[in-house]
Amino acid sequence: MRLGDQLRENVGIALETLRASKLRSALTVLGVVIGIATVMAMATLINGVQQQIVRTIESAGPTTIYMFKVFSQTPLNPDALPAWVRIRPDVQPREAERLARLPEISYASPWAIKVGRVEYNGVRLQPNRIYGADDRFTEVIGGELVIGRWFTRQELLGGANVVVLNESYARRLFGRENPIDKVVRLGGRPATIIGLYAPAANIFDPPSAETAAIIPFRMMDTQYDINRTQELFIAIKPRAGVTVEAAQEAVTIAMREMRRLRPADKNNFELITQAQILDVFNRLTGAFFLVMVALSSVGLLVGGIGVMAIMMVSVTSRTREIGVRKALGASRRDILLQFLIEAATLTGIGGLLGVLTGLVVGRLVTLFVKVDAPVPLSYTLVAVGVSIGIGVTFGMIPARRAARMDPVEALRYE
Amino acid sequence: MSEILGVGSDLTTTGEHPMSTTAERKAVVQEPGATPGKEWVIVTRGLKREYDMGGEVVRALRGVDLAIRRNEYVAIMGPSGSGKSTLMNLIGCLDTPNGGEYWLNGMLVSTMSDDALARVRNKEIGFVFQTFNLLPRATALHNVELPLVYAGISSDERKRRAKAALASVQLDNRMHHRPNELSGGQRQRVAIARALVNEPSILLADEPTGNLDSATSTEIMKVFEQLASGGQTVIMVTHEPDIAAHARRVVVLRDGLVATDDRRAAFKAQMGLA
Repeated sequence: MRLGDQLRENVGIALETLRASKLRSALTVLGVVIGIATVMAMATLINGVQQQIVRTIESAGPTTIYMFKVFSQTPLNPDALPAWVRIRPDVQPREAERLARLPEISYASPWAIKVGRVEYNGVRLQPNRIYGADDRFTEVIGGELVIGRWFTRQELLGGANVVVLNESYARRLFGRENPIDKVVRLGGRPATIIGLYAPAANIFDPPSAETAAIIPFRMMDTQYDINRTQELFIAIKPRAGVTVEAAQEAVTIAMREMRRLRPADKNNFELITQAQILDVFNRLTGAFFLVMVALSSVGLLVGGIGVMAIMMVSVTSRTREIGVRKALGASRRDILLQFLIEAATLTGIGGLLGVLTGLVVGRLVTLFVKVDAPVPLSYTLVAVGVSIGIGVTFGMIPARRAARMDPVEALRYE
Repeated sequence: MSEILGVGSDLTTTGEHPMSTTAERKAVVQEPGATPGKEWVIVTRGLKREYDMGGEVVRALRGVDLAIRRNEYVAIMGPSGSGKSTLMNLIGCLDTPNGGEYWLNGMLVSTMSDDALARVRNKEIGFVFQTFNLLPRATALHNVELPLVYAGISSDERKRRAKAALASVQLDNRMHHRPNELSGGQRQRVAIARALVNEPSILLADEPTGNLDSATSTEIMKVFEQLASGGQTVIMVTHEPDIAAHARRVVVLRDGLVATDDRRAAFKAQMGLA
């Protein structure tokens, strides 16, 4: 029998069997539907999250380079730093000055991030990020100044107690009152509000990692205790027309020169670019995705075993039909293919249902968390392909049993 | 045996080999392994089939010698346990013997593999069963198409030939009916059309009227009669003497051996005496 005929013939038989026993078939493929739906929903969500991350990072200073003493994905215990961290020199403000003079670089300045509470009149908001930076903050990080002004040169140089506050914090503290010129306490220190800042839309800053306030770097440096290993860094912006890679190279050369590193020495500072941040996110979401796939493959396994059980029943109840087909000239391969195609049709339909369910669920979830998540066609194709593969794999044992039946016995079967 | 057949058997009473003619005896007795002549569609030489029934060996066939010419109409009879079903399974290439030779249409099929046997069944043999064995969810047309599907014939050609086969059994107006929408006689005619659609060397019928009333049986036997007259080799296994009497030759098995092989029953039938 030719394969095309075989396919048409047996998909027909499979659909017929499905129609004849709807409930049984539905229960059989339920496992496959659930497994595929889970993967599809997760894929939709993760895909949306990844796209959002890319967009956020690209909108918020796509070319910004951060120079840290170390770059660690997990926070380091400041009391027990590893030796390779301890021997590294701290990032120095004069290094930033030198980098700012490079022809490739338009901006380089020391910044720091601390976590602290904003307080006014006895109202305390949850602790969040306070930047010690300067008047070019939005240029580097994104977002915008809503009202008021940035720091003056005098305020920056003198480390005056002034703050540009996140506008939503200001709303919570002052309501309709004008917050400008009010004095809030930042991590215990007083500062006068001179402007309000709206961060770039970024749902991935968890509520605990929002930018609460920006104060002059000098104020932070003199009045707060900055952890020089993990909180201090240099924000660097390449000149327009200079690629991130070229800027990174120029910075590396200048830094090695300043720190008198020999050609064989490794860098004792770390440059972090968008590509690396993306990489970290991708690794994170990738691991998450793998876990989800592993979990939902349990569903698929259960579904596959269900298919195997039902195909066993199907083979037994159609023993006589198998005998007749063999008598009429069906070879072992013909019978094997018949039942494999039937199993694959069953799980293929299950897979399609799973894809649809997964897309709907994924869409609902993404609406809920306000992520825009288009689903690539390739996911759908892979999901249906995997379902069909499950049918073929788990249909193999029943199909082989059918193919090996003795025609005499099969024809005698009641 | 003569009670069953209603006729005497001169060959067994003489104590000779129960072969009807010297030509048949010659076809069988030739050197083992020698290809029979072209006129012989079936030749078995010392065909043996044993079953192991939980340690006890049952010898269903103990050495059957049989030669059937092209265009013969043969009935195989025998009481239950005589081995007639086993012989039918072997002739139909559904089973393989433990010993002896089976030549079908000049091919030694007794040593063929399963898949080779499947091809032989598809090409050379048309089965008609007692219980019709039509696929219940398929239309009459599709049932008849089935052997052509396994022969790898294209869809258009299949439809054309299946329709012609159904027309030859006067069922061209029932093509799109399913088996449960057909009478017993119609179902058996669909089965006959299915058996003939591949133009097989032999039509092998196993109790073809066993599930039919006498009127319908007569109708089906007429179909067989016409086919036999038209040159189709027909082999029919039955335990009913009046059905066997339609054949031109009756082979009776007993205890796994050919007991009688007789043309007179058929002769009597032709004379209207059966």
